[in-house]
Amino acid sequence: MKPANLRRWRLVHRWTSLICSVNLLILCVTGLILVFHHEIEHLMGDEFDTSYTEGQARLPLESLVGVARATNPGLEPKFVSFDPEEPGANFIFMSAPGVRDFEDGRWVMLNGYTGANQVLKPPEETLTGFLLKLHVDLFAGFAGQMFIGVMGLLFVVSTVSGLVVYGPFMKKLAFGLLRFRRGTRIANIDLHNLLGVATLVWALVVGLTGAILSFSPLILTYWQETELVSMIGRHTEPMTGTPVTVDQAAQAGLAAFPGMQIAFIAYPGNEYASDRHFSVTVRGQTELTQKLLSVALVDAETGQLTETAEMPWYITAVLLSGPFHFGDYGGLPLQIIWALFTIITGVVTVAGFVVWVKRPRTRTATSEAGVQDASDSRMGSKA
Amino acid sequence: MSGVWRFPVILAALSLLGLASAIVGDGLWHWVCWIGLSVPLVVCTVKLWRQWPPRVPSPSRAGGR
Repeated sequence: MKPANLRRWRLVHRWTSLICSVNLLILCVTGLILVFHHEIEHLMGDEFDTSYTEGQARLPLESLVGVARATNPGLEPKFVSFDPEEPGANFIFMSAPGVRDFEDGRWVMLNGYTGANQVLKPPEETLTGFLLKLHVDLFAGFAGQMFIGVMGLLFVVSTVSGLVVYGPFMKKLAFGLLRFRRGTRIANIDLHNLLGVATLVWALVVGLTGAILSFSPLILTYWQETELVSMIGRHTEPMTGTPVTVDQAAQAGLAAFPGMQIAFIAYPGNEYASDRHFSVTVRGQTELTQKLLSVALVDAETGQLTETAEMPWYITAVLLSGPFHFGDYGGLPLQIIWALFTIITGVVTVAGFVVWVKRPRTRTATSEAGVQDASDSRMGSKA
Repeated sequence: MSGVWRFPVILAALSLLGLASAIVGDGLWHWVCWIGLSVPLVVCTVKLWRQWPPRVPSPSRAGGR
């Protein structure tokens, strides 16, 4: 690589890293704790009761919706959601009649086997909820989430540029050489290089998926305003009769996709369905296929299937980003590994910052450092 | 492959294998995931362990003895 190009890549690496470093440390600290959010929620008693006995039958969805209606008079069900990890958990979104969006309303959490209604605490009132909000949007809503997304992209560029400058720098040094006795700057450069290159793929994947998740509201809105609107636009007949039950809609949706399970159901008249159709979204049963969704439009008047569609690639990318960012798809050992990688990423960030703080300030200092680097290089090649 | 990239490429390949395997299935796939992702961590630990500077006793303590 030409010296001028290498200098440009170094500049890119330096400034992208510096700009995102404070934010990255916040993400590392909050992410480190959030890796164990299930365990923390269990310890703090914030976990929902999703228990049921073996062989116990699920309650019909219509009776769960009835419980939600009874506890929220004046509100209508708009959305029913299911948790693939917790079969007993059902979430129902309730809002005023005629409201199409999901801005004003409330979620009701029910045990799908017992119908027990559980109060959902506002996120800020639980430790994990507080940390998640800090991690996702710095308590700054949509703007905060976009900011985090941009920081995520900077982190990805910083990682890639770090890899580019790693090669020329390590040309005459042995892999993993740590020169702790050569002063703070050299020691931190070596630490930064070893830990950075060893965890590079993990950092790249977590950074990229984090950026994708941060931009997910934009991606979902795009899908909703293009493909979903076009699908709904093909079926504009008005609703005249009484709608079928949500259970009938679920059955029609499942019949269109044998072997799948319900992910969520949108009632007619909201942003995710037409005025006359339920939109029944289904997912697979395995770890991988759980992230692959398909949609069935079910006529709310007849209970018949109207149309089916697969999710586009960009929605699948958002859905697959979840496990690759949270590290919750391989049991407790993977959570521990994820936590260790997060700690190392924090160390790489701090070491890189120390290298920048201790940089040579003058031309003389630069040439001295060059001589020192050359001398160290020789040592490294012997090591 | 040049010496500079040999170890980073091996670690990257193991990390990729580890990241991808647990999403494919359970059981054996989880073990592949845990082992694949543990290798970079073990390499870092070993390198740190072997090259960490030994503690030098302070002059006052040394003199006291």
